[in-house]
Amino acid sequence: MAARRLDELGIPPVVGYVLGAGSFILVSEYLFYRTEFAKYVVILAALSLLAKTSETNRTEFLKTVFDRNKFRNIRIAENGLICLPFCVLLLYHRALPEAILLLTGGVFLSGFTLKSNRSHALPTPFYHRPFEFPVGFRNTVYLLPLPYVLTAIGLSVDNLNLGMFAMLLVFLIALTYYAKPENQYFVWTYSTTPAGFIFEKLKTATLYAALLAAPIVVSLILFYPQQTGIILLLGLAGLAFLWTMVLAKYAAYPNELNLPEGILMAFCIYFPPFLLVLIPFFYSKSIKKLHAFLK
Amino acid sequence: MIRVKELNKQFGDNHVLKNINLDFANGHVYGIVGENGAGKTTLFRCIAGLEDYQGTVSAECSPLKNHLGLLLPEPFFFARITGKEYIRLLCHGRGINVRDVERRNIFDLPLDQYASTYSTGMKKKLALTAILLQENKYYILDEPFNGVDIQSNIILTEIINKLRALNKIVIVSSHIFSTLSDTCDEIHLLRKGEQIKTVQQQDFKSLEAEMKANTIGNKIEQLDLK
Repeated sequence: MAARRLDELGIPPVVGYVLGAGSFILVSEYLFYRTEFAKYVVILAALSLLAKTSETNRTEFLKTVFDRNKFRNIRIAENGLICLPFCVLLLYHRALPEAILLLTGGVFLSGFTLKSNRSHALPTPFYHRPFEFPVGFRNTVYLLPLPYVLTAIGLSVDNLNLGMFAMLLVFLIALTYYAKPENQYFVWTYSTTPAGFIFEKLKTATLYAALLAAPIVVSLILFYPQQTGIILLLGLAGLAFLWTMVLAKYAAYPNELNLPEGILMAFCIYFPPFLLVLIPFFYSKSIKKLHAFLK
Repeated sequence: MIRVKELNKQFGDNHVLKNINLDFANGHVYGIVGENGAGKTTLFRCIAGLEDYQGTVSAECSPLKNHLGLLLPEPFFFARITGKEYIRLLCHGRGINVRDVERRNIFDLPLDQYASTYSTGMKKKLALTAILLQENKYYILDEPFNGVDIQSNIILTEIINKLRALNKIVIVSSHIFSTLSDTCDEIHLLRKGEQIKTVQQQDFKSLEAEMKANTIGNKIEQLDLK
């Protein structure tokens, strides 16, 4: 499946695997460099992946295809494989108890199916402007407490960097809400110009991302009033990345985000001023792409 | 008024719509019939501006797409969006702040549940409710009766009649001839991308008989049923 998906994106699977492994190592190293709580972030990231393999539809399908013993073995193997890179990472950083905890937890979770409550939707504070934030919020509801917990830890141990990292994490989560292109019908239905459409999308992204980040920003400013400038600047940088993601999505529309957009965005992480070039570039490209649907 | 003039559509070498000329007047309901692959959905997508084409499609209210409610044969829904949010999304796209959604939910849909958990018929009713609340001038309903229960079909027929009375243009396709003969003022027959004929209300019975004869032929005998 992963190979096919990479193929669809125009990336040779081997290159995709190497890039994936490289990104995993780079991001995790950066994480361990930035914060002492990195091991908990790693465990949470692994758990969120494990949760995906425990979804009802998926496990029910496996149950219908395989007998009881094979099903059990497949689920243990799946969860074990998912945990493996995270455990290696934890062991490399001398977090043996956490690695053992994650592996046993993964095997234990393989016996469970996550049943979603189909009859009741999770309420969100984003009711007025569907769809990216309500849908994204529900998709990442297990992950969303993490930045707030990290902020609380950061404030309790007087670590501003951890709080600022948590703030960026909120924007990072919000970025994922714009990762996939919507069905053309939901662009076509807008009675506006491409510029009006983009403006509307950016307005919603700004408003709702600010709403998610506000508790962190406000508490950081309250605890570190002398650092207000840098906190707000970092928040603005988070928003700028979010705008870039929104624009990149429609610059590639109706296709999914591809390697060139990914490389350009990755370059911005190392050299943020490049956003000043990239934002107008993606904007003009998205206006061109949207003309086909918003005549 | 919507005017389709010399509309042609090709997918590579496949000429799926050939020189289509149609006029749709306000306060009328039009049926489009044809076998699978006749080009009905492609015609609708061209009128809606979802496909490129040769020829012209013009309307009093321009751009047409901003005044068009399009019901697709299989409406698309996001995984974690409720019925109410879906309606709000479509209305927001048209700059409409929809009110009284509960009261206007005439199909009694569970609007606070995820739309993706709805049955096929419920999904269609939700998509229809959303485009009706968009307050459009024109409607294209592609297979609106498919998968919908009898009670809702009765309501749907009355909705179409009401839209006619409100001077809207409604274009409907259906594989169930009786649903068209109950609602349409005029039916256009498409075959392999060509506009074969246009039939007025008084001739619907003969069109049905002709379609039946052409479709069935001696196919049932070929089955050698025993």
